[in-house]
Amino acid sequence: MALFPTLEAMTIAIKTIFTRQTTEVLPWKGQRTRSPRYRSTFALLHDEHGEELCIGCKMCEKICPSDIIKLVPTGRQESPVTGKKRGYCSDFTLDLNACIFCELCVQVCPEDAIRMLRTRQSPGYSREDLVLTMDRLYDNESLGLLSWGSGTNFMDAQDPKRGLVEPEPEESKVEKSSKDVTT
Amino acid sequence: MTTTNTTNDQFKHLNLPPAITDLPRNNPHISIDDYDPEGDLLVMNLGPQHPSTHGVLRVKLWMDGEVCVKAVPYIGYLHRGVEKLCEHRTYVQITPLVDKNDYVCPMTNELAVNIAFENALGVTPPPRAQVIRTIVAEMQRMSSHLLAVGTWALDLGGALGGGATAFMHTFREREMLLDCFEELTGARFHYNHHTVGGVRHDIPESWSTHVLKALDIIEAKIDSYEGYLTENQVFKARSVGVGILDPKLGLELGISGPNIRASGVDWDLRRDAPFAAYDLVDVKVATAQAGDCYARYQVRIAEMRESVRLVRFFMKNIPTGPICALKQVKLATAVKIPANFSGYTCIETARGELGTWLVTPPGKKKSAMPYRLKIRPPSLHAVSALPWVCPGNNLSDIIAILGSMDPIMGEVDR
Amino acid sequence: MSPLMTSLIIGICIATVILTITAWSIWYERKFAGRIQNRPGPTEVGSFGLLQPLADVLKLMQKEDVIPRDADRALFNLAPPLTIVAALGLLAVVPFSPEIVVSDLDVGLLFILAIGSVMVLPVWMAGWASNNKYAMLGAMRAISQSISYEVPLLMSAMVPVILAGSYNMGDIVEAQSGWQWFAFWPVGPGAIAFVLFFLCSLAEANRIPFDIPEAESELVAGVTTEYCGMKFGMFYLAEYLHTLISSAIASVLFLGGWEGPGPDGLHWMMVKTLLLFALIFWVRWTILRYRQDQLIKVCWVYFLPLSLVLVAVSAVWKAGLI
Repeated sequence: MALFPTLEAMTIAIKTIFTRQTTEVLPWKGQRTRSPRYRSTFALLHDEHGEELCIGCKMCEKICPSDIIKLVPTGRQESPVTGKKRGYCSDFTLDLNACIFCELCVQVCPEDAIRMLRTRQSPGYSREDLVLTMDRLYDNESLGLLSWGSGTNFMDAQDPKRGLVEPEPEESKVEKSSKDVTT
Repeated sequence: MTTTNTTNDQFKHLNLPPAITDLPRNNPHISIDDYDPEGDLLVMNLGPQHPSTHGVLRVKLWMDGEVCVKAVPYIGYLHRGVEKLCEHRTYVQITPLVDKNDYVCPMTNELAVNIAFENALGVTPPPRAQVIRTIVAEMQRMSSHLLAVGTWALDLGGALGGGATAFMHTFREREMLLDCFEELTGARFHYNHHTVGGVRHDIPESWSTHVLKALDIIEAKIDSYEGYLTENQVFKARSVGVGILDPKLGLELGISGPNIRASGVDWDLRRDAPFAAYDLVDVKVATAQAGDCYARYQVRIAEMRESVRLVRFFMKNIPTGPICALKQVKLATAVKIPANFSGYTCIETARGELGTWLVTPPGKKKSAMPYRLKIRPPSLHAVSALPWVCPGNNLSDIIAILGSMDPIMGEVDR
Repeated sequence: MSPLMTSLIIGICIATVILTITAWSIWYERKFAGRIQNRPGPTEVGSFGLLQPLADVLKLMQKEDVIPRDADRALFNLAPPLTIVAALGLLAVVPFSPEIVVSDLDVGLLFILAIGSVMVLPVWMAGWASNNKYAMLGAMRAISQSISYEVPLLMSAMVPVILAGSYNMGDIVEAQSGWQWFAFWPVGPGAIAFVLFFLCSLAEANRIPFDIPEAESELVAGVTTEYCGMKFGMFYLAEYLHTLISSAIASVLFLGGWEGPGPDGLHWMMVKTLLLFALIFWVRWTILRYRQDQLIKVCWVYFLPLSLVLVAVSAVWKAGLI
């Protein structure tokens, strides 16, 4: 019975006792640092004038794979801040029970109105506690800690022309067309 | 049960080793009345609730004392109708849905379907996206093998015992990889990272440092796992010679990935039918000859090392440029694939060949939803080997075989 | 007072102490397991998690007692207390110090081995009475393992008997006085017999690497699958008890009992017992388990001939021929 590999295994196991433990003991005073892109719960945002950003376009409702967003848009109304007509929504419900956190609603929003947060929604005692109504979504904004993902960020990131070479200047274009004529 | 038109002709060039291709085949359709008319066999259910069936799998065993005579797996406990759901979702919505098939390495599912969509559209992702896809695929392979080895040691050694120690150690390394993924995509699991035409998240600044640091630690720890398990007397006694998979049987059943490579078949889609950026690099494929559980373990460890090498290679030179070939999807129906298309695309995941058969609706118009999306999971074929491999083994061996085949029931049942 | 009263009081004291140590071994095991796995282990209940055994016991006590419908009720209910009784019965002849021994039998070692054989029965009763195929398989494995490993256990325990010339446990310890512990001197047979005895007691107590009867990953919980609440707690406790008492017996037989640098006494006995106990945990949390047929093969093909050779060698040594 070759005892030596067994003893080697036992030595490796014992060595772990003297290394720093990887788990943290609760209650933990520290804060787990989440990456900037961490996505957890949702918030609807206001812009710098205090206006709601959501224009009720229903893009998020259409793209959601789990059909958890339900939106009731109002018609076009005059905005008290800019004076121009824009859409609003009167009711916005997001059922966090069934959300799969795919971030597609964030990606398609043209106004960057819906964003995901890096803090988590606190758990509740009933299913209704996790259905985010419009008030709760606007309240979540005060939690801060927005995730990196937003409509414009995704648009910039996934731009097919991003980081490519600058388009050629006019002179070379003319030369190229003459070459094409000969062939 | 002889078949004349097996797939062996395709693999003739591989020169299968002669020694273990002459294994007598267990008859999985043995009638128990013929075997034992007295009816003294113990009929036992392994699962569906069981600490080590890797998901919800039920295996009905006919046991003659401690030895299994016949084994029949029953699947479908985790069937969620993913393929049916995909028929009513657009191509962008399908990606987060199929994430949940193989829930241990989710990005590979996304990669499979997105490559299928891109082939149907005729779109090539830009080079940066290809390289990012490859890096991420290799990291997923590493994390999947870490989980596979950990849970297999757990099966062998006990939830309260040496196996648990190996399990905790491999999961500690897996956490580092999951943190890297969180930094890249924002989620630790179920990332929705790939899209038709490329990827959705670009690499953040300090990502390469974190990944390379994680790789250094993992490489050192793989040595520690080898020291802990590979030469261990008990481990070898439990796994050498147990569950030998005949390569001919494996090829007939459609088994791919580390399971068949451990039986000597040198077939790896990363090298033989490259996808993503695998044509830029020379993938060294790990094979073993024995075909038993120990060989499968060795192949997985070797693949982990190879993944470390590949990720380091790709991280050194990631091309600049865009990460998506199509404009960002703003409308759900933005991606439309021409009608009357049907085609099969396959990639190499940690478990084997994951294939996608895509059929678009007939007609003239382009459509935003597929007509049929069939997923070919590698674990299904691994589970189908159980009636052939299990008979003649103890119950403990069956657990070891099941663990070393590494099936994931989410992918088997979809 | 009469010797019977003295023995009774000593017995109750020893049993209480040993049971308390067993209860706190639950804490020790989980802490140790946690540290080996790079995590802290229990920390919530009491500072450093020291009251964790209390929490475990309370949790087990308040569970509903479910008996399967077609179970054999008499055997089902009888099995758990019987394991504890059999394990505690072993304590009767273990000398913890020159004065503290419940019963100084002249055939102490034979008594230990006899009670050890009794320990097979409750496991079998539990497996049979549960009316559950997993429990049945576990019971089958447990019986074959226990009765197989009793033979090399007996044989390797013969080595100190032969070297000391008596079955009396106290005499065996006396024969090791003067630092002539049987584990180290004579060099060959004693050490190997110690390792063999250690491994066989692991097998008797169903500890990893020999814990196939209660293999969690295969048989759900093996013999104890259908037990809930305090009955399961009793099986759990009995396993730790058997392990602790086996380490006590091993330290009496091979490690010199109550002898140590400085004054001899109870404390050295406890130190040695706890050291062996810790070693058993270390082995448990590191090594995978053997398969049933490999277990039995190891016993009959390796351990038994080895133990017979050891007995022969030690007999020849004692007779002064080498």
